[in-house]
Order: sequence, then structure tokens, then C-alpha cells
Amino acid sequence: MNTKTLRILVGLSFMLAPCVSRGQAPAVTPSSVTPFDKLPDWTGLWSMMGGTVFDTATQTGKGGVVTHGVREHPPYTPAFEKIYEEHLALRDADRFPDVLTNCGVPVGYPRILNLPDTYEFVVRPDIFYIVTENGPNTMRVYTDGRKLPAKEDTWGTYTGVSVGHWEGDTLVFQTIGLKGNRDNDSILDRTGLVLSDAATVTTRMRKINENTLEAQLVIEDSKALAKPWNVTKRFRKGKPGMFMYDYGCAENNRNPADTVTGKTLVLGPDGKPLN
Amino acid sequence: MINTLNRVLLIALIVSLGLFTVQPVFAHHSGAGFSPDAVKEITGTVKEFQFRNPHSWIQVNVTDATGKVTEWSIEWGSPNQLGREGVRPATFSPGMNVTIKFHPMLNGSPVGGFIGAKMPDGKILGKWDAGE
Repeated sequence: MNTKTLRILVGLSFMLAPCVSRGQAPAVTPSSVTPFDKLPDWTGLWSMMGGTVFDTATQTGKGGVVTHGVREHPPYTPAFEKIYEEHLALRDADRFPDVLTNCGVPVGYPRILNLPDTYEFVVRPDIFYIVTENGPNTMRVYTDGRKLPAKEDTWGTYTGVSVGHWEGDTLVFQTIGLKGNRDNDSILDRTGLVLSDAATVTTRMRKINENTLEAQLVIEDSKALAKPWNVTKRFRKGKPGMFMYDYGCAENNRNPADTVTGKTLVLGPDGKPLN
Repeated sequence: MINTLNRVLLIALIVSLGLFTVQPVFAHHSGAGFSPDAVKEITGTVKEFQFRNPHSWIQVNVTDATGKVTEWSIEWGSPNQLGREGVRPATFSPGMNVTIKFHPMLNGSPVGGFIGAKMPDGKILGKWDAGE
């Protein structure tokens, strides 16, 4: 192959590359994008209201996620109810490690709406970001008019793929492509709630008053749930001028989980376990 | 010795911590190893205040009647949470004499979950008496 032929081939490859990429990307219709001046003001820092029990509406037992006797009642299939009961037993024995404890993977969706510390909900015409201090974690919801990818074009990830639109002051988005419990590293809370890799979530978010944001979730999962599971999470606006800081989880993590026993360790100042 | 800046910060801190709860201490892990009902108190000298994520740790040397020194590790909230409440890296300075209340570890190790501290000037951080 001479130099001239090579130049022509390279030139053609650059010309064709955008066509190939366009063939893989979902179609975008900019006309459906809501302009800035029509979007609600969700600026500031926000904090989840209540503790980290994911679904307090179905909670039985008093206390928090690690209190013996506390559990939730999603409409689980028998197979997933069994998984949940096994997790609860491990929780009661302090042998159910939370993936957060080892500062590694993202918390995923919908758990990203079930975290302590502060949140930013960043509203733009083309995209909506959930940014959490804890973790830290980021999730993107595309609101530029694109469609969700076909199922065969997704693969299980922690936060999946989300596409949404605005209905007045309400953001409505769908999330697919979640990995669920495929690798045993994605939970909804420390009681041991999990979903499968078939889970999809429809979320409606809006301000119900000046200082409260509400997210209504409808979770569907053909493997884990016998019927849709409705969960509501609320967030309170913080004081003006609050700062969000970085959260280097691995900076001084003295509570890693023992990968063999699942026990959460407490390390002394010398790095050796004290429990 | 607390300098003027630290004194101002401390006052702001004490005011702001009025509604502080111990829940954020366990934001990163379960805290299941601590006894939620037991309360222990130690008095000693601050060796180090690890004001770092995901949780802060106050290292305190405590000398018993025989002269033996034990280093205690008292776990507190993340610097992000505490920082917004007015806590600063200098809140616990090396050499500072403090009394700390905490939930002890179930297995008796020299570790605890922070409840409150009595500072050298007698001011209280966090909670001390019931209802405080």
C-alpha cells in the first residue's frame, strides 16, 4: 500500500467515524428540551429527611437499619424474600458488610437517594445531576430529548442509564440497565434490601414546598418483585451558604469489612483490628 | 491552652451542637460493634485528632492508677458533618486534657463511639447529661 492510498483510507475512516457513532447513539430531539427559564430552582444543598431505612412506609420494628427486628416489606417474590431474610440474619450477626464500608464502588440507584450527608440536585436543560457528598456519588439523567437505549445496548451498572423530561415543575425519569444483586455489591440499605438486574425505576421529583424536595419511585422488577413497589424519599433544603466538601472515603478508613467473615472491623491507630 | 480564635470557634461549636445527634457517627459503617446502651467515661490527654474522612477519631492517652498508659480511639462524625457544625481540626489539640463520654466497644477494646466531651474550660461538646 503506497502513501497516497493510505492517506485516502485514513481520510475516509475519519469521515465515516461520526456516522458509525451516530448509529449507536440514541436519537436526540432538541425541540423537547425545556429551556433554563422554564426550569424550577433546586439550587442549594439538600439532606435526606429521616434515617437510612429505605422504605419507612413498610418498616416494622423500631429503630434504624442495624437494629435487630427492623425490616421492610417490599412486595418481594418468594425467592427474593428468602434472600432478604438471609441478609437480615447476617445483619443481626453483624456479618452483613455494606459496600460503602470499603470505599470502593458507587452506591447505585435507587440507593443514591438514601444517603446521609449533603446533596446537590443540578438542573440544566439538557441534563440533571444528582451529586452526593457521601461516597461521593454522581448520577446523570439525560433530559435532552434522547430516548432510552434498547435493552441489548445496556449492561448492568450501579446507576444504570436514565432519561427524563419535565412535566411542569416535575422531573420524570426512567432508569434501566441496573446491575442489582448480580455481584452482591449493590444494596438499598443496611437491612439487606436488594433488587435484581431486571429492575427498572420510574422516578418523579418535585418541590412540594420551598424547602422540601420529594422523589416518588415506582420500582418494577420481574425477578425480585411480585408487583410494583412505591417508595417516597424527601430532602430538606440546607441553610444558605453551606459548603459541600470532598469525601475521600479511603482517606482514613478505620472500618473496612473483613472480606472473609463480612464483619466490619475497627482498626486501631496502628492499623491492626481491635475487634 | 486555647487561643482566642479557638475560643470563639468553641463557643460557636457548643451553640451549634445543641441539636447534634450521635447518628452521623455511623454514617459510614453500621456501628454494630458499639454497645448502644452502655456509656463509659475517660479522662486523659489528647494525642491526636484525626479530622479526616470517612470518620473523625480522637486519640486519647489515659493513665491508670499504676501508671500504665492506654491509648483510646474515640470515633466521631465525618469532618464534613462536624465542620458544618463548627468543629475544627484544632478543636482537640495534642496535649489537651479532656473527659469524654462514649458508647464502648462490646468486646472491651479501647474504642468508643463519641457522645460528648468536657473541654479544659468546662464547656461541653455534644451531649453530656440526659436531655442535654
